[in-house]
Amino acid sequence: MTGLANSVLWTWGVSVAIQTVVCFVLFFKGYFRKLPFFTTFVATNICQAVFMYIIYVQFGVKSETAKWIIWLSEPAILILRTLATAELLSLILKPYRGIWGLVWRVMAVGFGGVLLYAVIESGRNIPWAIALAHRGFHLAFAVSLVAGLLLIRYYSISLQSLYKVILAGFCFYSCTAVLADTLGQWAILHGLGDFQTIWQFTIAAIYAGIQIAWAVELWKAAPSEESSPALLASSLYQQISPQINERLYAFNEQLSQFWRPRATRP
Amino acid sequence: MSLTLLLLFAFVAGLLLLLAWALRGPRTQAKPGAISKSFESGDRLHVNSLPQIRQALDVADYEFLGQKGGTALQRRVRRERRGIALAYLSALRLEFEDLLRMARIIAGLSTEIVALQEFERVRLTAKFMWSFEMVRMKLLLGFVSLTQLDALSNLISGLSVRLEAAIKELGEHAALAAELASPPHRRGIGLT
Repeated sequence: MTGLANSVLWTWGVSVAIQTVVCFVLFFKGYFRKLPFFTTFVATNICQAVFMYIIYVQFGVKSETAKWIIWLSEPAILILRTLATAELLSLILKPYRGIWGLVWRVMAVGFGGVLLYAVIESGRNIPWAIALAHRGFHLAFAVSLVAGLLLIRYYSISLQSLYKVILAGFCFYSCTAVLADTLGQWAILHGLGDFQTIWQFTIAAIYAGIQIAWAVELWKAAPSEESSPALLASSLYQQISPQINERLYAFNEQLSQFWRPRATRP
Repeated sequence: MSLTLLLLFAFVAGLLLLLAWALRGPRTQAKPGAISKSFESGDRLHVNSLPQIRQALDVADYEFLGQKGGTALQRRVRRERRGIALAYLSALRLEFEDLLRMARIIAGLSTEIVALQEFERVRLTAKFMWSFEMVRMKLLLGFVSLTQLDALSNLISGLSVRLEAAIKELGEHAALAAELASPPHRRGIGLT
């Protein structure tokens, strides 16, 4: 009826069922108040899956119209995914205003840089423009998210296990999408079988796995209110931070002088 | 499969490894008051053992031993001194890390931080680690002359005195910050 392989249809069905469970847990446990963008993202994903099914039934999986309609629905999901991630990171870093300021700037630069490169690349290759832009978005998303998480680790800020699982899920999915898109393009260019089915199955199966991890973690954890530490005046940072850097610089100078060969005195 | 494709796979694999490492989180969580304790314990400062280290690296001492005890003793002392220098170098690294930790705590508790300063610190850390490893290798392989050991002794004494003062001064600030920032449920900045 849809032209989709049975394995894909089944995996897809299971994925939608688990997403519905995740959505239910989000409402049942009251997470939707704390994570409105994440809840909207999950709900919209379910709606998109139903929408895609209707489109495939209507036009068939090989139809160009179906392909374009589905691609057009994708930006909404990608934007909501970005907003949900920003929401989670802002919750984690709410007590650390200074670090949040640094993290979002670093992430924005990383995201913008990789995405710009991807847009330029897709502009050069019009037949593959959408696939390249899709891959570019996921690569930019993964790079910026990993950069943000590395900064969080550098400042030794602890992450609640729920946030860890959700962010890891987002990042893992994006990495998988990058690999699947790349392999898909390569397989099609080399005329290797029906890669579309493999692509759809892989993406649906991985997403279902991520949803299971989210559902379990959401069910286990309870939404908690974080208290904020009293922050220091920025003047203290302005005063001490350069001093520390100067001392670290002095350390380096002395060590490098030791390493350099000493000039012999006449 | 093209090289670009392989590079992309390697890049994504690297990203996943970094993700796993970043999510492992700090080894220990901060407890209220831990910041101040970390800096209150002055005994931990390796600069306190400076006079002994200087004595161990004293050139005059070494020459005296050579004249009185012969080459074998001189060689043994040289080996032992190298060991002492290595241990002290490691201690210096710990103090360097103390400074870094303090910088991170202060940054964590500040309402505003300067990106350039933070990145400069990352650069300085990388440079220090590189120089540290180079000096350590040189010491391990015995490519350090007596004059260089003397230079290391001077380096340590000059730095340590300033560092001791710096750590004490900054420790007072950090302790104050910790007192201000330790409500019962504060989520952690790892300290140890």
